[in-house]
Amino acid sequence: MDRKLRYTFLFILLSGVAYGQQSTREKLKKIRVDHFFTCTLDQLMDTLAAAYDIPIVFERDSLMQMDITEHFFDEPLGKVLKFACKANGLQYWIENDGTLYILQNPDDLPRLKKRYELNQTARSFKPVILPPPADPPKHFMFALTGHVTDQKTGESLPGASVRIRGTDLSALTNTSGNFTILNIPSDTSVVDVSFIGYQPDIFRLDSNSVKGNISFSLYPSLNSLSQVVITGRKKGVLNTDSKKVSVIQLTPALLDKLPNIGEKDIMRSFQLMPGVAATNESSSGIYVRGGTPDQNLVTFDGFTIYQVDHLYGFFSAFNSNAVRDVELYKGGFSSKYGGRLSSVTEVRGKDGNKKEANIGGDISLLSTNVYAETPVGSNASALIAIRRSYQGPLYNKLFGQFNSSAANTGGGAIRGGPGGGGGGFGGGGFNNQTTPSSYFYDLNTKFTYAPSTKNTFSWSLYTGADRLDNSREMTLPSFLTSSGGTLNIADDTHYGNLGTSVKWNTTPSQKLFGSTVLSYSSFFSDRDRGTTGTITDSATTTTINNGILENNRLKDAGIKSDWEWNAASKLKLLFGGFNSNVKIDYTYTQNDTTTLINQHNSGSTTGAYTELEYEPNGRWHIQPGFRTTYFSPTNKLYYEPRLSAIYHLTDHINLKGATGRFYQFTDRVIREDVAGGDRNFWVLANNSNIPVGVSDHFIFGTSYETDKLLFDVEGYYKRLNGLTEYSIRQLGGGATGGGPMGGGAPMGGGGAAATTTITENFYNGSGYAKGIEFLLQKKTGIYTGWLSYTLAEAKNKFDAYGSSYFSAAQDIRHEFKSVNMYHLQRWSFAATFIFSTGHPYTAPAGVYNINTLDGNKISYLSVSEKNGERLPAYHRLDLSATYDLLKTDATKIGSISFSLFNVYNHRNTWYNEYYIRGNQVVTTTVKYLGLTPNITLSLKLK
Amino acid sequence: MVKRILYSLFFISTILSSCKKDGTTTVAERPVVISYLLIGHPVKVNVYEQKAFSDTAAYGPRIGGLALALSDGTQTVQLTETTTGNYTYVDSTFLQTGKTYTLQFTYKNTVITASSLMPAFTSGYAASRTKFAIRVGVTPAESDSTAVRFSWNNPDSLYHVLVFKYDEANTYANGSGNFPSNFTVNAKMADYYDVPYRPFRYAGGYSAILYTVNKEYSDILTTNTNTNSQQLNNPPGNITNGYGIFAAMQADTIRMSLTN
Repeated sequence: MDRKLRYTFLFILLSGVAYGQQSTREKLKKIRVDHFFTCTLDQLMDTLAAAYDIPIVFERDSLMQMDITEHFFDEPLGKVLKFACKANGLQYWIENDGTLYILQNPDDLPRLKKRYELNQTARSFKPVILPPPADPPKHFMFALTGHVTDQKTGESLPGASVRIRGTDLSALTNTSGNFTILNIPSDTSVVDVSFIGYQPDIFRLDSNSVKGNISFSLYPSLNSLSQVVITGRKKGVLNTDSKKVSVIQLTPALLDKLPNIGEKDIMRSFQLMPGVAATNESSSGIYVRGGTPDQNLVTFDGFTIYQVDHLYGFFSAFNSNAVRDVELYKGGFSSKYGGRLSSVTEVRGKDGNKKEANIGGDISLLSTNVYAETPVGSNASALIAIRRSYQGPLYNKLFGQFNSSAANTGGGAIRGGPGGGGGGFGGGGFNNQTTPSSYFYDLNTKFTYAPSTKNTFSWSLYTGADRLDNSREMTLPSFLTSSGGTLNIADDTHYGNLGTSVKWNTTPSQKLFGSTVLSYSSFFSDRDRGTTGTITDSATTTTINNGILENNRLKDAGIKSDWEWNAASKLKLLFGGFNSNVKIDYTYTQNDTTTLINQHNSGSTTGAYTELEYEPNGRWHIQPGFRTTYFSPTNKLYYEPRLSAIYHLTDHINLKGATGRFYQFTDRVIREDVAGGDRNFWVLANNSNIPVGVSDHFIFGTSYETDKLLFDVEGYYKRLNGLTEYSIRQLGGGATGGGPMGGGAPMGGGGAAATTTITENFYNGSGYAKGIEFLLQKKTGIYTGWLSYTLAEAKNKFDAYGSSYFSAAQDIRHEFKSVNMYHLQRWSFAATFIFSTGHPYTAPAGVYNINTLDGNKISYLSVSEKNGERLPAYHRLDLSATYDLLKTDATKIGSISFSLFNVYNHRNTWYNEYYIRGNQVVTTTVKYLGLTPNITLSLKLK
Repeated sequence: MVKRILYSLFFISTILSSCKKDGTTTVAERPVVISYLLIGHPVKVNVYEQKAFSDTAAYGPRIGGLALALSDGTQTVQLTETTTGNYTYVDSTFLQTGKTYTLQFTYKNTVITASSLMPAFTSGYAASRTKFAIRVGVTPAESDSTAVRFSWNNPDSLYHVLVFKYDEANTYANGSGNFPSNFTVNAKMADYYDVPYRPFRYAGGYSAILYTVNKEYSDILTTNTNTNSQQLNNPPGNITNGYGIFAAMQADTIRMSLTN
């Protein structure tokens, strides 16, 4: 009974909100105080509350102990309040009902609110209710279109819930923050708007609402941590209007609460959710449900990003300060998306603050990150964010992780390093290496212009690159008095992206919303490795000039137009068309002259899709879709039917399912380069050795959800065909020096044997992935977090490896993740624990040599079953503590965060490496990062 | 309800985890067979064990006491073991063009087989020149320019390799370090090959031998550059249940004389 009463009361209380906060803020600015106060603080508050008609809530016991003695000469009320609070170490906070709370600690707010509420109940207090309709209703059964934004920045809020009170009419805002609801009963209806991290608000419609493009603004809530950081926004999870299956949404603003290795990382945070593998420390690309990173489409503001990470994969290419929100579709995704077999990650950049200029940034042991945003005129805004790493201890540690065994020996004591193990001169293993100079940077900029409420234009640019310059000079020691020399070794790797898009959002009518994007994206990856210099041996001086030059260029220009038509209140039609032109060049040159690989391919994909969102009754949500694509290199049409559906069994239990067909036309292949990290490059499918990939998804799941808890289970089965694996076989370098395993062969071997040629092999096969994911999440309270467990299997079958299925390299059987966040006043603590079965690998069983016809020997490793062995299990604990920096009015202006990665220093195995030296096989186990501390300071002006 | 969920979870986990691993435990025990069948020469087959990783010897222990049978399709002969692990058949007329030779023996209860077709002799083997000066310490472009073109008739697109053997007893140290004096060029299915200056490091006499081979020999020359456990693949070879190479071939030689 009591609870019911309270809810009723809360309901009434909330009714006042839309106008409350605004008026209180206005009062703080406008009211001037000219008064001499010498009293206790509680008396001051009582005086102010009574004099200016502001509800002020505080703890009388505490404020009685505090005094104020100050003469204010015509000061604004806000300043008086700030002064009083600051002098006593207090903060004030304005809720959106206009009530002003005086806080000693941020966590006081819920307690004060509750007490305030009970007091009012006790006094039968009637707060201001929602203003009555200004006029009698004039319009009936009309369509309402509008926009939900952040009150402070003007940033759109996609995924916010909009409901018409007293009806079952509701909508979620789309990716541009827009919504449409048809058949609104009257223009005096009341609208409830809510979104995670914001205070729910209520608005009264009026006769102007009919004209369309009404704007609802929400205030951020004081303590967003009591909400979950990453939410499985499945049907009925956090938002009962969610109409998607297998979707994870992430809000980067709260990322600093999680432990990190140096950067708040968007892609890495997804790895904490079920279905996304967490054990690939060296890849920010995500492995979704047994898929590989290249089967995951990553788009930023509408253009495709081909290189999604920095520094060998340790950091994602996205600057979290420039990102508004990210959605990951783990499978069975809408026909709006295509071109990838497994999953879609859609990243949307911030528009920039439309209300006031702001500047902020982060500084950590790894990088500096600065952003600035500002309104431009009355209807435009701009944002710029720049990030650059510097070579601090952390950077060097990470860099060394990839290079300690890869490039720290000039001649390759263990492996044929850049110096060329295969050749004669490098065999000594002299280590004259200087610290490599390397860095990454990225830049995001966006300009948004809204000439009218119906049209918005935005231009977005992203560019980022990694430069790893490992060049050095090596002085050869003199074994004999007569020999010696100097070699200059160039080892320069440079890769990155440039992408830009122009987007036009339009609402030509109340029922129609369109978004058209012109996009350009390019990816480049260059590697220059060479040796020049002289060697003196027995009084003969020889000039050395060897090297390889590798270039990969991808250019992708396209146009995409997406439309939503609200045909009827239970029927929404999505449709659109797209065209994309991809051009790929890949060359691999040796010694400036010999071109070993020379590919120039181009192709275009053109197509259209349509999708229906249909709710025949309150229980069903059905979403059938169809997508068709014409791919020019194969000169064929590809048809992709899709279907997803959700059934509300009860208020708490939902059943969901999805299925569909998915094609992929561009593949990323990895050319293994032991001496300098693997090189990725992209190729286009053709009719011959690179088939068009195809997969079928079958997903079924259920969720049980209450206000505080969520239990979610999803099972999936994925059938894959047309998978491509790439392998380079080389001839040459098979001389006595390094044998076939001598990694430096392209160069060192080039010196030795003569004519290195490279054979590219594309192996084709099929596979499947299946699994079941469990998520138990505590959504609210001081303690939040989740437990996740995934049982999965991913197997492939390639003719090149035999006729049976083998475990795919990304196959993980069990994965358990525990994410715990505890909030205490300004502190928040987080602990994440990950346990996972080890990755499969192929182990060598023995070694043998074959003497070839020229009398030389080639060494071979005989290997066990393909991926027949497992690396040891992976486990890791990360901890972090974050202290929020708050202003007197309780707005957050920054945080200091301490983070410990891999707390108990368990050195997880990355892979084993095998070299043959002097007929012996040397095994090296390459480990992932051990204990790594980090500290990050984040600040913003407003 | 909870019980039912638990049951179904158990059921699903059982299904997922019940996939069996294939049993190939004998990879390390498989023998290594090396045999080149050259027309006009006796048959020689060497059988070794694979080596342990730490073994610094060039070859593993030889395997003796095996009964090796060689068939040309109609006739099967037994090889005799001359020294441990060295098996021969002395009648050099046994090898003839166009016949497929199959080697078979049993080792550790496993039948090991390999077969290879004796290719036709390649006619018209010629070199654009047989005398030239080597170029050492020059620019890469000069080093990679063509020194000599070898050509031959190849109407059936057979595989060919060019093997260069340095005929002198002592090498003249014109290059730096230990560049191999002998080397192979894989011409694959072409009917000519332009050999650059780069591999010719020493002055003196060379034998340029054109071998007409099958794909299996060409394959073992193209080596796998992958050495980490994520990428290891099976080595090339044509021995069933074993490793190594069993290849029939024909040869023709051109002598060359190189100067400084």
